[in-house]
Amino acid sequence: MISNPILQKTLDGITEISRVELCAFETDGKIAASNFEDAKNYEDAVVDFADSAAENQESKGCYFFKVSDEGSLEYIILAKGGSGDAYMVGKMAAFQVQNLLSAYKDRFDKDNFVKSLLLDNMLLVDIYNRAKKLHIETEVSRIVIIIETQHEKDSNALEIVRNLNSSRTRDFITAVDEKNIIIVREVKADETYDDIIKSCYTLLDMLNMEAMSQAYIALGTVVGEIREVSKSYKEAKMALNVGKIFYDGQKVIAYSKLGIGRIIYQLPMPVCATFIKEIFGEHTPDSLDAETIETVTKFFENDFNVSETARKLYIHRNTLVYRLDKIQKITGLDVRNFNDAVTLTISLMVTKYMKYMETTNF
Amino acid sequence: MASLSLKNISKVYPNGFVAVKDFNLEIEDKEFIIFVGPSGCGKSTTLRMIAGLEEISSGELYIGDKLVNDVEPKDRDIAMVFQNYALYPHMSVFDNMAFGLKLRKIPKEQIKRQVDEAARILDLENLLDRKPKALSGGQRQRVAMGRAIVRNPKVFLMDEPLSNLDAKLRVQMRVEISRLHKKLESTIIYVTHDQTEAMTLGTRIVVMRDGLIQQVDSPINLYNYPTNLFVAGFMGSPAMNFVDAEAVQEGDSVSLKFGKVSIKLPEKKAKALIDGGYIGKKVVMGIRPEDIHDEEVMLANNPETTVEVTIRLYELLGAEVFLYFDLEGTSFTARVNPRTTAKIDDTIKLALDPNKIHVFDKETEMTITN
Repeated sequence: MISNPILQKTLDGITEISRVELCAFETDGKIAASNFEDAKNYEDAVVDFADSAAENQESKGCYFFKVSDEGSLEYIILAKGGSGDAYMVGKMAAFQVQNLLSAYKDRFDKDNFVKSLLLDNMLLVDIYNRAKKLHIETEVSRIVIIIETQHEKDSNALEIVRNLNSSRTRDFITAVDEKNIIIVREVKADETYDDIIKSCYTLLDMLNMEAMSQAYIALGTVVGEIREVSKSYKEAKMALNVGKIFYDGQKVIAYSKLGIGRIIYQLPMPVCATFIKEIFGEHTPDSLDAETIETVTKFFENDFNVSETARKLYIHRNTLVYRLDKIQKITGLDVRNFNDAVTLTISLMVTKYMKYMETTNF
Repeated sequence: MASLSLKNISKVYPNGFVAVKDFNLEIEDKEFIIFVGPSGCGKSTTLRMIAGLEEISSGELYIGDKLVNDVEPKDRDIAMVFQNYALYPHMSVFDNMAFGLKLRKIPKEQIKRQVDEAARILDLENLLDRKPKALSGGQRQRVAMGRAIVRNPKVFLMDEPLSNLDAKLRVQMRVEISRLHKKLESTIIYVTHDQTEAMTLGTRIVVMRDGLIQQVDSPINLYNYPTNLFVAGFMGSPAMNFVDAEAVQEGDSVSLKFGKVSIKLPEKKAKALIDGGYIGKKVVMGIRPEDIHDEEVMLANNPETTVEVTIRLYELLGAEVFLYFDLEGTSFTARVNPRTTAKIDDTIKLALDPNKIHVFDKETEMTITN
């Protein structure tokens, strides 16, 4: 079905050009859109006409036209006046509404196709057949972008995304759940991955500024075939989750830039638990306080440089050395040693991953 | 418009990373406050906490008299202008400016009134029917500003709004923003890493580093009286020259010695070093490029702070000349008059203005005397 505002806009446009008043009724006689003042007076006549076998008729000073979709009656269009002009304009309006119905259906079909594609719900042969039917190119580069908004059914966010993409007619915007907006974006030949990431930052800033909405944006990788779109979608979904676990503060997360977090995210929980137990015994990295974690983070950020780290933390270097010794005492790892530093980094990430999985009851 | 109060605001991410530490600031109504600092210093995070786009880990944020920690961004009566903006390509300037209001279901007449008013302020009245592709870069930026102005907010938050513009447009927009602040009489919080923007726009500047406020002051005070070595080095371009020196007392006078060079300090600065117990200790001497002179009169008046140097590089910028030279193994820059006769490889005399010398504690990096 066409939305009533669109129907109203269509009829108003035709009336403005032709000066012939028009009205669209649903099959039960309910007014869908009208620029008649007395449209209500025709309700009974419309129901009678709907039940008749006629495709059009003249009655009560109006021409009546039927609009059907694949044999099913959808609308009755009325054109006011008994002249030949009214007949012609009414017929044109019915034709226009008929085409709008087809266009909407086409769009609905495309949306369904893209959803099935993302969720891997189609046989390979069906993908290509349906894509051909819907005039969707199969061999162009595409990327899937997921926008997760803080609130469910954030219609403002969706409207902003649609409007920003209005000139990108070959992209698809859809949703498979209530919190996420998905863009299947066609990648131009001269567009780089960094260009796409940059455009995601623009999208994020626009959502922040216009909808005042907090959002995360995740990207998969660029794929060259339509059947791989689901792969890009899965990657984007993983980027969204991995980013939230390991990369605090980052709002745009690209799958290809996930680093070690991507591997840890795929580890089975029992393996993680065994790893932590074998290395730390009772003193898991979880037991380290915020100050110690900050010390370690800064120490790594400053390339193991004690003086520089102490300066950044606004503490004396002896205090830093004391803290590093304390970490060694608790965990048995000397973070001044590269191998131990790597072990602690991975352990902290694994612990964080385990915590996340526990809280999400995965 | 409104005042803001940030009390002991901190942002700690779950991984323990502290982005902002114990941030305290009172912002008066109609102030133009600049957050400035190097990348990763916490300035944008602070702004996003004010906007409500980041949760505040601890502390209190007041807009006017209202505690807004748990208030949704859209209910904080703020408007934001960020670095990465885009205009809706198929919409006219009017519709672009009106879009945010439409989302908030504001009545049509009110939208028209507010957009017309914003267009008048921004000199966009004649462009309201145009599409974005028919606008110049500056006009597009003004439309982006207009989207914030139409909301008529209590506070404007701007996060590096000019950083994607070319140099010429950036200067032009800087002037526009300054003009807007006067016209709107609004409270503006502006994040930048560009110190020229900070110095020219702000009524007060907040210099940040590693999540901590280093100094809050007027632009001129920050420049002339930096509270520590970081602020001194961050504000000013070319940056202040620094050299490690030893404070040496000879009778009543105090000199800063590095290598064979000895710079005699004026009485007031000497007293600060004596009182602080710095005699015989290592300190850092700082002097801005414009406080190193080659004019005869300065050389004649300051024989005790005159040094002989060989010019390594000469840069003529039109209205000024930068002379680069080494002094006891440390690189220095002097900003002199273009009428200077100095050229590359010349050995010349330069006088350091003793009253403009800054001295910093080597360990704490805090200012001893300005």
